[in-house]
Amino acid sequence: MATGLTEFLDTFVKSHDNRQLLAIPLAVLAISLIILGVSYASSGSPVPLGMEFQGGTQISMETTDSPETFENLYSDYPIQDARSAGSRVIMQFGVMDNEEQRRLEDAVTGQYSNVEIKQIGPVYGKDLQFQAIRALILSFIGMAIVVFLIFRSFVPSLAVVLSAFSDILIAAAFMRIAGIELSLGTVAALLMLIGYSVDSDILLTTRVLKRRGTAEEKITRAMQTGITMTTTTLAALLVMYVVSTFPYLVIPSFTQITLLSQISSVLLIGLAADLMNTWLLNTGILRWYVLKPEFKGRYNR
Amino acid sequence: MSEKTEKKLVNNPGELLRKPRVIIFILALLASIAFIQPWGALGEDGRSNLNYGLDLEGGSWLQIKLQGALAQVDADPEMIVSKTVEPLIGGPIEITANTLESSGLSETENPRIVFTTTAQVSKSELELLGLGQVSVDRLSQEKTQVTLITGKEELIKNYLANSLDAEVVLVNTGEGLFYEIRTEVSEEDLKALMEKVGGSILTNEDGTPSYKEGVSTETRDLTREILNDKLNALGLKDIPVRTVGDDYILIDFAGIDLAKAKDIAEKPGKFEIRVQTEGNESMHVLYGDSIVGVGIPGFHDEQWHTPFTLSEEGGLALQKAAIETGAVSDPYSHYLEMYLDENLIYSAPLSSSAAVRLGEAPIYSWQASTGQDEEAKAQAQQLQIHLRAGALPVKVVLVGSGHVDATLGKQFKAEAVIAGLLSLFAVAFVVFRRYGRKEILVPMVGTSVSEVIMILGVAAAIGWQLDLPAIAGIIAAIGTGIDHLVIITDEVLYEGKLPSTKVFISRIGKAFAIIFGAAATTVIAMSPLVVMGFGSLKGFAITTIIGVFIGVFIARPVYGTVIKELLEASEEAPNTSEIA
Repeated sequence: MATGLTEFLDTFVKSHDNRQLLAIPLAVLAISLIILGVSYASSGSPVPLGMEFQGGTQISMETTDSPETFENLYSDYPIQDARSAGSRVIMQFGVMDNEEQRRLEDAVTGQYSNVEIKQIGPVYGKDLQFQAIRALILSFIGMAIVVFLIFRSFVPSLAVVLSAFSDILIAAAFMRIAGIELSLGTVAALLMLIGYSVDSDILLTTRVLKRRGTAEEKITRAMQTGITMTTTTLAALLVMYVVSTFPYLVIPSFTQITLLSQISSVLLIGLAADLMNTWLLNTGILRWYVLKPEFKGRYNR
Repeated sequence: MSEKTEKKLVNNPGELLRKPRVIIFILALLASIAFIQPWGALGEDGRSNLNYGLDLEGGSWLQIKLQGALAQVDADPEMIVSKTVEPLIGGPIEITANTLESSGLSETENPRIVFTTTAQVSKSELELLGLGQVSVDRLSQEKTQVTLITGKEELIKNYLANSLDAEVVLVNTGEGLFYEIRTEVSEEDLKALMEKVGGSILTNEDGTPSYKEGVSTETRDLTREILNDKLNALGLKDIPVRTVGDDYILIDFAGIDLAKAKDIAEKPGKFEIRVQTEGNESMHVLYGDSIVGVGIPGFHDEQWHTPFTLSEEGGLALQKAAIETGAVSDPYSHYLEMYLDENLIYSAPLSSSAAVRLGEAPIYSWQASTGQDEEAKAQAQQLQIHLRAGALPVKVVLVGSGHVDATLGKQFKAEAVIAGLLSLFAVAFVVFRRYGRKEILVPMVGTSVSEVIMILGVAAAIGWQLDLPAIAGIIAAIGTGIDHLVIITDEVLYEGKLPSTKVFISRIGKAFAIIFGAAATTVIAMSPLVVMGFGSLKGFAITTIIGVFIGVFIARPVYGTVIKELLEASEEAPNTSEIA
């Protein structure tokens, strides 16, 4: 798997010039930006906000009844959505006052087993939202500073940061399209992505700037290592996604672990985007940079 | 560990074991296992030393917000006095003297406000306003002079407390003296309120109003302590009450369902004892502040009892009320009633012996009996909390809660373990496809597994709770860990085979330059979460960071050494495996 992909990418990189390499990832980035922009303009938020950031209640329990049953059963409460996942139904409610909340919780726990309840007040949700955005921005800035400190050279550092930035925006646009909500889990995934996605970029940039050899050869070598890295991670995430999302296919009584499922799905897309961004976007910029005539082949010998 | 058995293949295992990094690695691994005590899981109670979070153990959590505001305000004391006194006495007043802000007072002279009025005034009524020390002098037939010995801060505090119906205290936050208003009040409302008495919210040096939502750290900690106290009184000693940020308190109720958790936490309120006068009527006897001690419920004389002790005023007040209402002579027509937030929670007659004794002297030690059955026991325990923690010092509001059934938690735990193991297999598969050598595969998987053990060891050692986000953090750390091992491997095998020792050492150095850079970005990316510490993601971030440190400083250096030895061994005996 990794070898085939490496060969394909390697041939692709060698047979296209830098401008062509940049075209694809930049086009995807532009499309992602458009998606996020349109979403922001129409709904006030680039990605759909989950219950944790909006306030509301989510209740899930073990049942074989259809979700529609519950939409009727709990129609007295502000039920927004009910869907089934394996042997469970997950219901989403709007904001309720304490007494209403209490009645609903008592009604559900009295009747069903394996109940999971999560409730966030709207004010706290706003607070969390603000903090999550702040955490993402701070993380990203922190990462960018570290990258600039490592390479101390503007263009290569910028290429790494741009590539990580694009990974996150593509993952966010994917969340918008796939309807994955921004939750504490997906914020965690986006933060992880900041850490993960620069690994292969740092590898590539270090190899190309600090090793002897022709740029082409160094890129090929870095690609072999980097794609192994990303594919091992992707393999682990794929398994985690399947196990946490569809566990009931194996053991019917097992339940979706929403948090792990959300984290792994966002990371899967983010890292797939990272393959493209590292080996086309970052490589394209870096190859243009090191082959600039003013370096007189300093990075290419 | 698989690695240790592999080491026997090495030409000179003694040399490997003498390397400090290997010794540290082995010691860290053994210490982790000692901390985790995995054999505990097979023992009687079926538990290792690892703590699991609510989402894996079952239970519920509540997050509450402390409502309040800290502000620096100013007002005209005379206007406060007029605004407060005039509605009470039903007539205008005229301020004749005000020495609150004069500097030339002698020590014996207290600052005061003096006013005269033609309306009817009563000293006790005025005292109830809490404006200060009151003295009333009749100047003439229709004119009365009132002297208030008071201070400006006291008047403002009192004014705010009365207008907002909340407790207001003066606190020194280090940035100056603030009025802590222990209920929700917006900046606009507070401003409007101050303007009514010729005042305003003071401004900071930078021109912004000196107002902020929330309460002081001391008040927050006091609230946490009272909650803690309440839970301890219930015998729930392991329920952590944590402060999150400045204004939130998070309580984790392991093994307790949400309904019960809410019962326990939401109940604090105004406690009052009343005594029945006639029919449904009753009179006030005392409030929760007169209760100075509460004992542990006990069973004797075929009844459950909750013992409690009254203060001196409390004891006297109860005696006075019992005599006044006639409860001492006819206890069955004059029940003692206990109210929490205006709800009747307990009601019983005085016992005949108590009734007789109370006729002669106050009683300070009391027992509230609740009955014989299990329900009575529960009631006695509830009563214990209500008597003890009359009210939290500050108004709180529930902002978040959650609940996971215990069986569901177990399921999550099993699934997380399965997901982890299968992920590891998937990684091993990809690594084997790439390198095709067990000399690389075994140490790589071994390093990963030992990193997990060490992360768990740290968690057990510091009593860290493993919850789902923490497990995601472990997976994140392992993910970057494998990435780094791949970097080391490829760097070492740059030409496709093992280089000389000298080149090897420089290669390892180069690999670690990349790894340190990558690790630094991960740690930096996670640190905002640790500092901001919001909710469950803090655990995720801390676990990831711990994992990265363990990996970079303990496990991965050893991996470099081990694969060198193993590859050397296999290259000297080329039949054992092919070279890729």
